[in-house]
Amino acid sequence: MNEKVMLIDVSKCTACRGCQVACKQWNRLPAEKTQQRGTHQNPPDLTPATWNLVRFTEIPLREGGVRWLFRKDNCMHCEDAACQRACPVPGCIFKTAEGAVVIDTEKCIGCEYCVNVCPFEIPRFDSATKKVYKCTLCWDRIGNGQIPACAKTCGPGAVTFGPKEKMIAQAYARAKALGGDATVYGDKFVKGTHVMYVLPEKVRMYEKLTINPSVPVSVYLWKDFLKPVSVLAIGAALVGTFFHYIIKGPKRPEEGGE
Amino acid sequence: MAKPKNLILSSTVFERVVHWVLAGSCLFLFLTGFGLMFHSLSFMANFFPGGHYIMKLLHNIVGIIFGIAFLFALIAWGKDTLYFDEDDKKWFRVMGGYLWEVEKVPEAGKFNAGQKMFFMVLFLFWFIMMGTGIFMWFPIFPAEITRWLYVLHALGVVVLGGFLVIHFYLGTYGNPGTFQVMGHGYVTKGWAKKHRPKWLRDVEAGRRSV
Repeated sequence: MNEKVMLIDVSKCTACRGCQVACKQWNRLPAEKTQQRGTHQNPPDLTPATWNLVRFTEIPLREGGVRWLFRKDNCMHCEDAACQRACPVPGCIFKTAEGAVVIDTEKCIGCEYCVNVCPFEIPRFDSATKKVYKCTLCWDRIGNGQIPACAKTCGPGAVTFGPKEKMIAQAYARAKALGGDATVYGDKFVKGTHVMYVLPEKVRMYEKLTINPSVPVSVYLWKDFLKPVSVLAIGAALVGTFFHYIIKGPKRPEEGGE
Repeated sequence: MAKPKNLILSSTVFERVVHWVLAGSCLFLFLTGFGLMFHSLSFMANFFPGGHYIMKLLHNIVGIIFGIAFLFALIAWGKDTLYFDEDDKKWFRVMGGYLWEVEKVPEAGKFNAGQKMFFMVLFLFWFIMMGTGIFMWFPIFPAEITRWLYVLHALGVVVLGGFLVIHFYLGTYGNPGTFQVMGHGYVTKGWAKKHRPKWLRDVEAGRRSV
């Protein structure tokens, strides 16, 4: 395997949002009308045309003022991707050798199953095109030996990209060096994500960062239990009625009665 | 159709049309639904210009047709099915004579206890499939809720799938002479005496027409 990981060291992020711009540029995503909401987080959330967003969490300080926590938010590219499990169209959501989870928009039918099962609330439905969009980990770049546009443009070196094992080792070394509450986020759930964080603070401190994410239980019940059971039920009914016919036999009006 | 000799009308044109609309839409929903649920059956999308997108859209639209047709089914059969009486309880005790030899099967009216139960379960799952389906199509609820609608919709497939096969069997091979109820609507007196004796007495006494 040629698995790669994007490591986002939020302790180095300056929230310049160059990654947001680079993402839009490489993926040819239009700028969007936005709104001043009294925060630098802009646009307010991920959208069908914003696949990469720096979230600003403000922590009020006792001595006045605020402390900022920045987090670059985009698809985590799960190894065990709930969106891929849920997608009804074969080949529409696929995984590359590097580990990128990509939606083939040509094949997307806009059912929004992926939107509703993603443990990170990443995919966004565009009601105009009736399709779902999200970060592709620049699969068209990394497949050709380049690094994702956001990593390429990142000035302070907060976003890096490289071989999986190397990046994981790097993440743990960095978390250790930061000390305190610093943790590594990503390798311990959904069989490992291909986007990982080094977080100086506890996970719950960051806006919209899922604590202990997993493939939802409902997806297992739906796709791994009820789906095969539906075939079993129909099969059992077919077999049952067949044996009923040959053993008990049909109920003929001319038989019995009074 | 002129009344055939020695035959007795068991279902009106209204009932038969409703039944066929339900049957056709149900079958379509099952086939397209399986085409969406199983990647191995995705070839089904090839039958539709526009592939999966159109297949799913038609699944949704036909779902509404089925949903509305069922309202007419309630008008047609609700009053004869949505209750159990003493004979029905006795009927269940011997499973209508379908599973083992029974001296005398308790008498049924227009529908026997098994058919009534079938209709009640269908009613319940009509509600579940419509309720989940519409909000899978237009997901206005939070993701945490919507993802459970998928589960309920699949549960409906399990129950209705098994029911559909048994329903088909009992209406055709399992009960010779029954399919005409859905065909031209006329059955023999012998059939009526066997399957719905109470109803036959009511019809012959003029207490009900069909």
